[in-house]
Amino acid sequence: MIVERDVVVVGGGPAGLTAAARLAAAGLTVTILDEQPELGGQYYRRPAPEVARRWGDHRREGGELIAGVRAAGVECRTGHLVWGLADDDRTLLAEDEAGRPVRLRGRHLVLATGAYERSFPFPGWQLPGVTTPGFAQHLAAGDHTPIGERVVLAGSGPFLLPVACSLLALGVKVAGIAEAGTPYRPGRRALGTLRHPARLRELAGYAARLARARVPVWQGAVVLRADGHDRVSSVTLAAAGRPGQAIRTVEADALCVGYGFRPQTDLARLLGCEVTADPGTGDAIPVTDPAGRSSRPDVYVIGEAAGIGGAPTARARGLAAAHDILARETGHPVPPAEARRVATAARRLGHFTALTDALYPSPAQLLDALVPALADSTMACRCESVTAGELRADAAGDVNAAKARTRAGMGPCQGRVCGFAVAGLVRGGAVFPSRVPIRPVRMTTLLELAAEDGPA
Amino acid sequence: MTAPRSATIIVDGRPVTAVAGVSLTAALVGDHRWALRRNPVDGGPRGPFCGMGVCFECEVTVDGVPSVRACLTRIRPGMRVDTTGAPNDR
Ligand SMILES: Cc1cc2nc3c(=O)[nH]c(=O)nc-3n(C[C@H](O)[C@H](O)[C@H](O)COP(=O)(O)OP(=O)(O)OC[C@H]3O[C@@H](n4cnc5c(N)ncnc54)[C@H](O)[C@@H]3O)c2cc1C
Repeated sequence: MIVERDVVVVGGGPAGLTAAARLAAAGLTVTILDEQPELGGQYYRRPAPEVARRWGDHRREGGELIAGVRAAGVECRTGHLVWGLADDDRTLLAEDEAGRPVRLRGRHLVLATGAYERSFPFPGWQLPGVTTPGFAQHLAAGDHTPIGERVVLAGSGPFLLPVACSLLALGVKVAGIAEAGTPYRPGRRALGTLRHPARLRELAGYAARLARARVPVWQGAVVLRADGHDRVSSVTLAAAGRPGQAIRTVEADALCVGYGFRPQTDLARLLGCEVTADPGTGDAIPVTDPAGRSSRPDVYVIGEAAGIGGAPTARARGLAAAHDILARETGHPVPPAEARRVATAARRLGHFTALTDALYPSPAQLLDALVPALADSTMACRCESVTAGELRADAAGDVNAAKARTRAGMGPCQGRVCGFAVAGLVRGGAVFPSRVPIRPVRMTTLLELAAEDGPA
Repeated sequence: MTAPRSATIIVDGRPVTAVAGVSLTAALVGDHRWALRRNPVDGGPRGPFCGMGVCFECEVTVDGVPSVRACLTRIRPGMRVDTTGAPNDR
């Protein structure tokens, strides 16, 4: 089956939903795909209906946005993984919930594939009970399920604070937050954020709740190792400046570690969109204009896939791309006042992101601190069980050579989990190249696809 | 306040009850089942890690279909789930 639309949007988070709603409201035919069972993406992830009925919906505006998308006539395909690209370089290959192949063509492709969490290995990180903070957040907010009874959060970035608050709301004991940087010490860098009172209030609100619950925030601390048998039972921390030396051991039945987010650019790279290193983070980001247009005129990359900036920025980028597409379709630019409003909002939001980013260590600083302390025996690639030592031995400055020799990044996650560390270990800044399938696909999907194509 | 509706699924032959419609990872974690599979290379136990479909550490068999990511699956009453995390499964 081939789905032909004016616009195909991949990713049903704040960015994709905002773009789809605006485009369909203007009369274009739009399909939006997401591999999740429900639209919403990460920020607007929908709680299970029964959870919402009993405990309320923590992000009502997400439900309203999705209702708006459906009301505007967008064809919504949830449970659809977009995994590849046909030989014509423009037909997207997807599989539906039942593993059936679906092909899609849009005169415009909007990639809103979001971000995933930045992980860094330590001894014991493969133990059950060690997770990303985002997993704890989704379990708490979406499923009303505590990730553990006594939880340690670690890593870096503002996201650790709301996750801790979500756990407290469920009655979980948050044993402490280990933040690699020292963002919560008063200093000149923090002052700029005062110009953004609403966003600052949000952060201050989290901090106040953590203080009321007497949750310790250990600044300048990183995880040295996690111990346990078939599940984590204790966490040992070290000072970020001397990451090899233990400073304290904390009992915990869950440990959630994350260093912020990395853009998910696999589809953009597969489509041949030019990428560059994000000046702030070093991560690969697609080259886009302010409307999200990539180096390929028919491909837009919006939301966090185009660079980390939070949900409000993702929505602003979604709207900007929709306006650009509408202008190209109709020959009439959107009313300048509306376009100006969007541009101003995006600029303000970008400014706030830059200010908060400056409070936390940059990914490059994190690598400088963490990589030298990573013991050779530590498992770096979880899928293929490759150690840091094996990767170091291969430190030719090229992640691809390292991948070919050690198999790091060849497993089902395709280097999304280990990629940051592998790049640090082999000193080869780049990301693993995107290849088809970008995620494992069922063999039956491939066979059915081949059958549709007829005998070769 | 009214109690939430629940659903019962069958995990490795035993019933597990959770709030209706939550993610399968939530039902398993809520039941303290963390080790869902063994890493094919080193044989060590693995459990859900990213919660968003990226890491593939929460793959289980659902109603006979192998390699289903539990974090992207919502529970349905009577769903049969098989894990391979127990040490003597191999
Ligand atoms: C696990 C996690 C939890 C987060 N929680 C919060 C939070 O609580 N608060 C907060 O402020 N920020 C949170 N964030 C940050 C969040 O990324 C952004 O704020 C916001 O969701 C970005 O919006 P987006 O539309 O760019 O992408 P997303 O919301 O990430 O949406 C992208 C969507 O694309 C889909 N997708 C990607 N690739 C494919 C493919 N190949 N085929 C089909 N579908 C695909 C994904 O399933 C996803 O639903 C979280 C991030 C993560 C990773």
